[in-house]
Amino acid sequence: MTRFRHFIAAALLVTGGLAHADIAVVTNANSGIAQMSRSDVINIFMGRYRKLPNGELALPIDLAPVKARFYQALVDKNLAEINSWWARLVFSGQASPPHQAETTAQAISLVVHNPSALGYVDTHHLTSELHVVLVLHE
Amino acid sequence: MAHLIELFRTRLALRTAAIILLMVALLGAGFLVLAVEIRADSEQRAQYTRIEELLSTVERTTQIACFLGDRELAGEVADGLLVNRIVREVRIIRQTGDVLADARSEQGRTGPAISRAVYSPFEQAQPLCRIALIPDQQRIDDAVFEASRFLAVALLLQLAGVGLCVVLVVVHFVTRPITGISHRLSRLEAETGHKLQAPRGNQHDEIGQLVASVNAMIDHLVSSLSEERRLRLEREVEERRYRTIFDSVEAGIFELDGEGRIVVANPAFRRLFRLAEECDPVRRRVALTELAGDGGPSIEELVHHSEPGRARQWELALGSGTLRRWISILLNRLEEGRLQGVAHDITERKMATDAAERLAITDPLTGLGNRLGMERRLAVIARHHRLYPERPHALVVLDFDHFKHVNDTWGHQAGDRVLEHVAALLTTLVGQRDYLARQGGDEFVMVLEGQGQRDQVAALLARFIELLADPIELDEEVRIRMGASIGVAILGLDTEDVQEALHFADQAMYRAKRAGRNNWRFHQTTSELSG
Repeated sequence: MTRFRHFIAAALLVTGGLAHADIAVVTNANSGIAQMSRSDVINIFMGRYRKLPNGELALPIDLAPVKARFYQALVDKNLAEINSWWARLVFSGQASPPHQAETTAQAISLVVHNPSALGYVDTHHLTSELHVVLVLHE
Repeated sequence: MAHLIELFRTRLALRTAAIILLMVALLGAGFLVLAVEIRADSEQRAQYTRIEELLSTVERTTQIACFLGDRELAGEVADGLLVNRIVREVRIIRQTGDVLADARSEQGRTGPAISRAVYSPFEQAQPLCRIALIPDQQRIDDAVFEASRFLAVALLLQLAGVGLCVVLVVVHFVTRPITGISHRLSRLEAETGHKLQAPRGNQHDEIGQLVASVNAMIDHLVSSLSEERRLRLEREVEERRYRTIFDSVEAGIFELDGEGRIVVANPAFRRLFRLAEECDPVRRRVALTELAGDGGPSIEELVHHSEPGRARQWELALGSGTLRRWISILLNRLEEGRLQGVAHDITERKMATDAAERLAITDPLTGLGNRLGMERRLAVIARHHRLYPERPHALVVLDFDHFKHVNDTWGHQAGDRVLEHVAALLTTLVGQRDYLARQGGDEFVMVLEGQGQRDQVAALLARFIELLADPIELDEEVRIRMGASIGVAILGLDTEDVQEALHFADQAMYRAKRAGRNNWRFHQTTSELSG
């Protein structure tokens, strides 16, 4: 199984490298989550659900350099719209926006050290500590 | 109410307006129903469009509420919608059946719900919940009613306006001209030749035609009135003329009723019938038969004289002796139960006629009948004998012996004297109903009516011969004795024919002459003679 995952990661790397860099949604390798659907990802990043499929309290992490590309790929909205969305949710006190990571390393570090973290990185920066649950093509 | 009905009955304008208004109202009601229907429909649709718009307005917020499952936000949305008065209830229900919001207002009625799916704001194809909006039907109905009422009021105003206009138009264009004509007509003096004037502006339309027709009728009436008057005058003149004739004419003019009583009689009639001045036949109703007596028309004849145009005449005698007067009455039927009569005094004419008649059949010398008289008498006898064949009559022919000798010797005056004497003799011998005639010369004929007994005839003749034997005194010196040969035939015994009887009597007379004169012979058949 691990072998297969590696193979996919390698394949993704090759194809991504050739065309455009895709964005991979990643979790801690020990999270126990094999895969997530796009809806699952949307529900967590847009503040609908606070829990991961494994029942852990979710900790979504935004990565500033990729953030615009990520939301564009995920819900087809620009940053202004996303900000406006969160502004509304925050105002009503219903939910809080994802944690902000300034760099990829910071984001990876957060995911690696936090089993309930859910982050995203450019596929170029995938490391073996990260577990890819969904790849977003641009 | 009765007043109103009376007003409607007498006012054309009101009636016209009422009828037109009624029709307009009926049409208007139809249109109103249609308009209200359409208006209600569009109003309903407008309300629903509004509701749809409301839903669109709150869609994004609803999406968020649904996406987050946020009851507060959903409740906010529902309350916000309820602010609109046409919204009665709002329900937001998640796909799982979880009710996010259910808000309602207490007033109004529930209308049919408008429901819409709410999708995720991030995934277009994923429905998260449904929002159902139930409108307040009461509000919608009120709005529809409001719109309809506006239409109705507008229509009503229009109706009133139309009615008013119709009344004004009818009053101005129809009623007033007609009233004007009516007033002028009642004041019009048609006989002076005045004409009815059409109201100004109406000369060429139907009212003008009406006026023209009325004028034509007035003309016609006036002309027939004057014609009537002329005829009446004419008739009066005619009447006077008739009256003058009636009063002054010599002929008696009278009229009878159905029972033959005098209804009208002129003065001449009174004179003719010697009616007293004070006797008014008209008042007393004298019957004509009473005045006329015998010879006049009988009551039956009067009553049944019913052929119009055919006159009938009677001649009747009034009085007796020298005062006897003859009156002719000519009756004409005027109409049923009415006879008109004319009476003339024909006494003179009658007497003249009678005298002439007598003269024609009389022998001027002897005063006996002449040949014409004899012939007439024989004709009467023949007719009589045909009717009563069993009754015989004796015919006697008498011829003087040697009468020519008397004439030749003593002259015609002597002959005439002899003839007069013999005629007087014969007259004394025969009865009232027997007839004597001088046939001419010295030949006499006697008709003894109803006489069939030869012995009686013989006795009469014997007496005659005996009387004749006395000498006739011609003058103081001359006295002559005459003889006569007489032949007798009896009609009914010897023959049935009058002329033959006369012939037989003649033959018998000649036999008497041959037998020695101054005797008589009865007719005998040839066998009797030879035997």
